[in-house]
Amino acid sequence: MDADAAPYPYEGPGDLRLPIERALRRVVDPEIALSIVDVGLIYGVTVHDGQLALRITMTSAACPVTDVILSDIETELDAVLPPQLRVQTEVVWDPPWSTERLSARAKVFMGW
Amino acid sequence: MLVVATLLVAAVIGGLLRAGLAFPVPADQAWPGRAVVSHAFLMMSAFIGTVIAIERAVALKARPAFVAPLLSALSGIAMLLGFGPVAGWAAVAAAAAFIAVNGLIVERQPAPHTVLLLAGATCWLVGNLLAALGSPTFAVVPWWFCFIVLTIAAERLEMTRLMRRRRGAAVALYACLGAMLAGAAAFALWPVAGGLVYGLSLVGLAAWLIVFDIARRTVTTHGLSRYMAVCLLLGYGWLGMAGAAWVAASFGVPARDAALHALGLGFVFSMMLGHAPVILPALAGVKLRFSGVFYVPLALLHGSLLLRLVPSGRLDIGAAGNALAIVLFIATVAAAAIGWRLQHPPRPFRHAAPASD
Repeated sequence: MDADAAPYPYEGPGDLRLPIERALRRVVDPEIALSIVDVGLIYGVTVHDGQLALRITMTSAACPVTDVILSDIETELDAVLPPQLRVQTEVVWDPPWSTERLSARAKVFMGW
Repeated sequence: MLVVATLLVAAVIGGLLRAGLAFPVPADQAWPGRAVVSHAFLMMSAFIGTVIAIERAVALKARPAFVAPLLSALSGIAMLLGFGPVAGWAAVAAAAAFIAVNGLIVERQPAPHTVLLLAGATCWLVGNLLAALGSPTFAVVPWWFCFIVLTIAAERLEMTRLMRRRRGAAVALYACLGAMLAGAAAFALWPVAGGLVYGLSLVGLAAWLIVFDIARRTVTTHGLSRYMAVCLLLGYGWLGMAGAAWVAASFGVPARDAALHALGLGFVFSMMLGHAPVILPALAGVKLRFSGVFYVPLALLHGSLLLRLVPSGRLDIGAAGNALAIVLFIATVAAAAIGWRLQHPPRPFRHAAPASD
């Protein structure tokens, strides 16, 4: 495990860390033209016992596109994960998302 | 979805007939006449209200939350069928249910933008109550616009969190929205003062959005993100012009059509055209393949609105162009859905279903 190298807490086989991160970076919120990784929506990924568990938040509880983002995540992960690995996504609201979670790239884009 | 489309079509036909367009309608049926009289109710409360309520119910992921859009859609159908009082009180019940939904969202995420959404829902209730109690449409319409504008402002406020907020920005926004509510409240009793305050608040809100919204940054990107930003920025321009028209109309200048439709079509529909490619997949379960064709109905909407609202313009031709833009947009969305399906043929999915806390 190399948690420090990932933009979110990661536990699991080292050889899957980068493919998973690249897949998640391909999921872009078109409203803000940033990936969900750069916005800081991913709270953590764990690969264990044949299952990938992903915890994610949204910037707004009133956002109706949550399921679309989850579907996009699964589509992207589906393309890079071994066939036997199942994916479990969980939307969490605690801790709430804040601008501190924006990546350096996102902050530059947004004029911080 | 069919009911929602019916409400949109009826509201558009009502609008075209109001604009004086010789539109062929069945002479032996009463609903076109009702669509003319109830154009504002059908468009703002029944159609847009239902769409917004569906959005929020999808976000909340709770079946009872769909009571609000169901009642709202039924209110529109009841209005078209000639059951005016039933329609009025069904709309009141829809707004009351929608307030409850927004209350749950505030509970889930107490934040300025969720509180603003709740305030917008309350404006919908005020407008629907006034309508059900028989207030004249000119006194009700400002409240329906408050509902829609506050909802959009709340959604944009949530997005502006991504940028470093300048000191005083939040206070300036609340001052604009507070003035808008005060103008709506005053409009029925003191139309000049109410219209002036209402119009100035819209101008202020337009300036706020142009300065603080992320659209000025995302417009430099490409594809769907840039298209959405273009829709937003064009909408903010019309919002400012609508504000000026409200001010002018309050002083007797014949600018009422501009005041209503720069706001309703230029601002609100531009927002809807911009967000539909993102929201429709969530609401209807269909994904869209974005392309530059989406700019065609957008250009037609804004071009025809300009033709309609400039002093020497043509109301009937402009209104026809507005309606054509909406039809063209629906056709574009349908083609984009087919395009996406052709690019992504169905395949068996092997993963576990998502969970939510």
